[in-house]
Amino acid sequence: MTEPNAPATFQLPEQMSTVAGDVDWLYYFIYWLSVVLFVGIIGAMLYFAWKYRERPGHKAEPTGHNLPLEIGWTVAPIFVLVFLFHKGFQGYMDMTVPPANAMEIKVNAKQWGWEFVYPNGGSDNELHVPVHKAVKLVISSTDVLHSFFVPALRVKRDVVPGMYTSQWFEATHVGQDDIVCAEYCGGRSKDSSGNELPFAQMTGHWSMHSMLHVETPEDFTKYLVGIGDPCASYTVKGQTCPASVLVAQGRKIYEKKACIGCHTTDGSRLVGPSWKGIWSKTESTDHGSVTVDEAYVRESILTPQAKIVTGFPPTMPSFSGQISDQEIDEVIAYIKSLKD
Amino acid sequence: MANVSESMAGTERVGHDAHAHPEFLQHHFDTPTQQFNASKLGMWVFIATEILMFGGLFCAYAIERGLEPQIFDDAHHFLNKIMGASNTVVLLFSSLTAALAVRSAQVGKRNLTSFYLVVTLLCACAFLVIKYFEYSHKFHLGLLPGHCFGHPGLSAAIQDGQEVGTCLHVNAEAAPVTPEWVKAVDESGHVRLLPPRANMFFGLYFVMTGLHGLHVLIGMSILTWVLVKNIRGKFSPAYFTPVDLGALYWHLVDLVWIYLFPLLYLVGKPE
Amino acid sequence: MAAVEFPVAGGHAADGHGDPDANYLQATHGFRSWALTVDHKRIGLMYLTMVSIAFLVGGIFALLVRLELFTRGKTIVDGETYNRFFTLHGAVMVFLFIIPSVPAALGNFFLPIMIGARDVAFPRINLLSFYIYLCGVCILLSSIIMGAVDTGWTFYTPYSLQTSNSVISMTLGVFVLGFSSILTGLNFLVTVHTMRAPGITWTRMPLFVWGMYATSLIQVLATPVLAITLLLLAGERFFGIGIFDPKLGGDPVLFQHFFWFYSHPAVYIMIVPGMAINSELIATFSRRAIFGYFAVAMSSIGLAILGFLVWGHHLFVAGMSEFATMMFSALTFLVAIPSGVKVFNWTATMYKGSIVWASPMLYAMAFIFLFSIGGLTGLFLGTLSVDVHLTDTYFVVAHFHYVMMGGTVIAFLGGLLYWWPKMTGRMHDEKKAKIGFWFVFVGFNTVFIPQFIMGSRGMPRRYYDYLPQFEPFHKASTIGSWILATGLFITAFTLLEALWKGRKAPRNPWGSAGYEWMTDTPPCLANFHSTPVITRGPYDYHLATPEELSTGWDEVEAGAHTKKKD
Repeated sequence: MTEPNAPATFQLPEQMSTVAGDVDWLYYFIYWLSVVLFVGIIGAMLYFAWKYRERPGHKAEPTGHNLPLEIGWTVAPIFVLVFLFHKGFQGYMDMTVPPANAMEIKVNAKQWGWEFVYPNGGSDNELHVPVHKAVKLVISSTDVLHSFFVPALRVKRDVVPGMYTSQWFEATHVGQDDIVCAEYCGGRSKDSSGNELPFAQMTGHWSMHSMLHVETPEDFTKYLVGIGDPCASYTVKGQTCPASVLVAQGRKIYEKKACIGCHTTDGSRLVGPSWKGIWSKTESTDHGSVTVDEAYVRESILTPQAKIVTGFPPTMPSFSGQISDQEIDEVIAYIKSLKD
Repeated sequence: MANVSESMAGTERVGHDAHAHPEFLQHHFDTPTQQFNASKLGMWVFIATEILMFGGLFCAYAIERGLEPQIFDDAHHFLNKIMGASNTVVLLFSSLTAALAVRSAQVGKRNLTSFYLVVTLLCACAFLVIKYFEYSHKFHLGLLPGHCFGHPGLSAAIQDGQEVGTCLHVNAEAAPVTPEWVKAVDESGHVRLLPPRANMFFGLYFVMTGLHGLHVLIGMSILTWVLVKNIRGKFSPAYFTPVDLGALYWHLVDLVWIYLFPLLYLVGKPE
Repeated sequence: MAAVEFPVAGGHAADGHGDPDANYLQATHGFRSWALTVDHKRIGLMYLTMVSIAFLVGGIFALLVRLELFTRGKTIVDGETYNRFFTLHGAVMVFLFIIPSVPAALGNFFLPIMIGARDVAFPRINLLSFYIYLCGVCILLSSIIMGAVDTGWTFYTPYSLQTSNSVISMTLGVFVLGFSSILTGLNFLVTVHTMRAPGITWTRMPLFVWGMYATSLIQVLATPVLAITLLLLAGERFFGIGIFDPKLGGDPVLFQHFFWFYSHPAVYIMIVPGMAINSELIATFSRRAIFGYFAVAMSSIGLAILGFLVWGHHLFVAGMSEFATMMFSALTFLVAIPSGVKVFNWTATMYKGSIVWASPMLYAMAFIFLFSIGGLTGLFLGTLSVDVHLTDTYFVVAHFHYVMMGGTVIAFLGGLLYWWPKMTGRMHDEKKAKIGFWFVFVGFNTVFIPQFIMGSRGMPRRYYDYLPQFEPFHKASTIGSWILATGLFITAFTLLEALWKGRKAPRNPWGSAGYEWMTDTPPCLANFHSTPVITRGPYDYHLATPEELSTGWDEVEAGAHTKKKD
């Protein structure tokens, strides 16, 4: 059977997954069925409205009964509806039950971005998958509802905090598509003093956009190596990871884990304090004064409510369980590098 | 035997315009029977809405119990079965007196109707007094819903040696209050340890019994109003609809408790 | 219809004040006579005024939403404000406008008249329900002013547990409004059961009354569940009960189940009255009894019952079990059948009728057109595998606007134009009404057809900004909103203008066989001068006397010539 690979039509996006063919077939079946029924009903209505319009000499005939007709049009639709239900349910089960050998990728959704964690532990804000291979996404959130939606794949699954949902797919050709959030999750367009932010800094449900990249198996393997932890190649030989590598990794985490959403690196105020020049500074917090050192940065990442710098709101979410110790070290290295 | 003037009360013909009709017959109805049927049906429809509303809570109870059976088992030992049973008896008895009030109104015995209504109201007061004791005991043990679980008297956590507001409202700089473990003596004398998650049981307990208590108060207001009207002689064998409907509402209040009591107080492993 | 004198308490208004035979608008005067009225007709008018204002407020929010979406990036407001706009558009339209609209305004006015009663069963509770509605309006508006909610009208947790404090006051407002809805429904149910005039058997009741009855069943049974849901939500925010908040061990999907258990039947509260009006319009303007009266009546009841069983179709991708999704999909297809029956029966009614192209009939035919699109697009959404792609996109937005606005609002406008002469005693300008109609019809389709296409192409809902490929569709949709708004203003103007400059309307300007046209125009305080005795059905054009069907325009014309101009 040829795999679904059709390009975008007027109504539907291109087909990029194995289930897209069945979904689209059913969609167009319902579409043409609706067109036929609609033209039939409205055609009849307009025809009657014209043919039987009130005019001199024309009288309405008393309404009769036609039980066979009534039973007919009550029962006949049932057959079509049963067919639709059956095909729809079948298709749904196909897209819900993953094959046994699917590769698992974890998806963490948060306000307002996506993070994808690959089997080798590396993570990225965009989703890369190999073509012709079943991929199972295990999806979770730590804040509010989101929904993972890739139109070209025809899959969508809500992200529910407190539980794991899953969605599998198999991509049918190399290419790209948009990943969007399909469950309203709020937004932020003002800074913590209530001033409106420039549009580019407004973020929210609408801006949780990412990309799906379907790649050849070779490209995918290269990609995995690229996002894997570069420090691993040092620590596995018993060497310390060079500072430049740590800082580069820290910068990636700053973006991937969405620290960039609330902390700038140029000194300007967003939601939280800017990281520029804060290393070793003494700050006053709601629990006395602190020096911004390794311990304070680590504490702020894992239990952010412990000490809030005066003048900033207590809105930082905890990253406990979502960031490894290695990654914390990398963030610390990055902050250290942001001197005045 | 009620005297004639008593039984005729409320049936004086009011003459206006070209016709006369009983004082109690409202103008948009044709006959007293039609009015009575409409009023009765209206009350039954209203009772259906109340059942649907409490039904939603019972649904929530069933779902939560299904998810956390152990917590429900452990927590229910903190409900005093004796007080709960007393409340059940009190309400059942008050339903009886309410029904008797309807009967005596039906046969025109005004004083007896007042008597039964007063007894019903006294039973309701007794119910609320027992409830007060139950609630205040839980308040002292910290068996409260949500964030306040484990915080006796609505106190908040001590942070850095300072109390930071109440568990409902914390001072601006302090961290939000979380539910804590509760170690206390339950109603059968055993020391029992409840995890923070047990706040779920008490959340349901307070919402369900609280909403029920609110309906007890509403029922009392209705019956008081009926009592006042009775004393003023508005009722007769021809017209006692408010007594009937007021008692019907009271039976609903009783019925809801009949379901609440076993589900909250009794169901669970005996220990 | 033979009028019969009824000696007992006949010809008396519920009010007890004023001359029962005087026109209800003029029987008593002064602010207090309106503020403390128990006359269902006056209460209906007061509701009509309030829901019209609510429609205007909700409509302004809609125009603002669409204006923001005209271009990518920021057009007029920032993201947070936009989120408030679409939330308020939804909340105001659903709770302040569409749920009360037909039952509280037109139902209150015409249900008693159509069954030959003098008023509803509980006139004082009717007035109470109006004041409860006003209370709810005030609470909702104050919560808007105090900071406004941005959760979407659906208040999904956990977001609604975190965001601004106005959530509690808004849910309180909706809670209060729910009681108004329950009391209206309760009143109608009892009225239909106990106050039908002699000869109005269940099988002779106008279909409008059947529709109101079915709607009342839903109002009475579903709204209490919303009340408890909102109570639990408020408790969760205030106490942290831990039922919906995952941080406290609760389940956000449980909230969705509770919420939709009410809100799905609620959409039948919205559409069944619209269908009920449509039956009246089609019958009158085809001069013919509705084909399959019994099926149409039963289909209203069927929608009421089946509507309670399908709420899960809002949760197909939300994390329910596969078994649950299967059951809800099957039941959702079942509920399509009663709607289809109505559409077929209305069309069959027009067959061999005598069709009058008056403005109410234009709306009635538009209803069939637009509701068919809405209903057919529901098939896409009930089919599980297709729904996965379409849910939470603009396809759904277009679907529900087609049924709610293309259905209920269109029928509401048609009903207003139809019954305006009876309610006000004035006839509106038909030409303006028809111009308004065409603006509304064209504008509406221009707004929402692009949205179907955007949705199937992958544009999610509730988005402040969007990908470049969707811009032409959004532009078209926004332009459509201006055309639609123009049409609505023209229609409103037409109706209001009639109050000052409209011709005096005769008793039965459309020549209908319906019972409500037998009363005076406007009706007298007690609706009828004496309790009517009915001996035919409301659509029996072949049994009605010529006198009953005569429009009375000739007398009005004659009267206008002989009278001096005021």
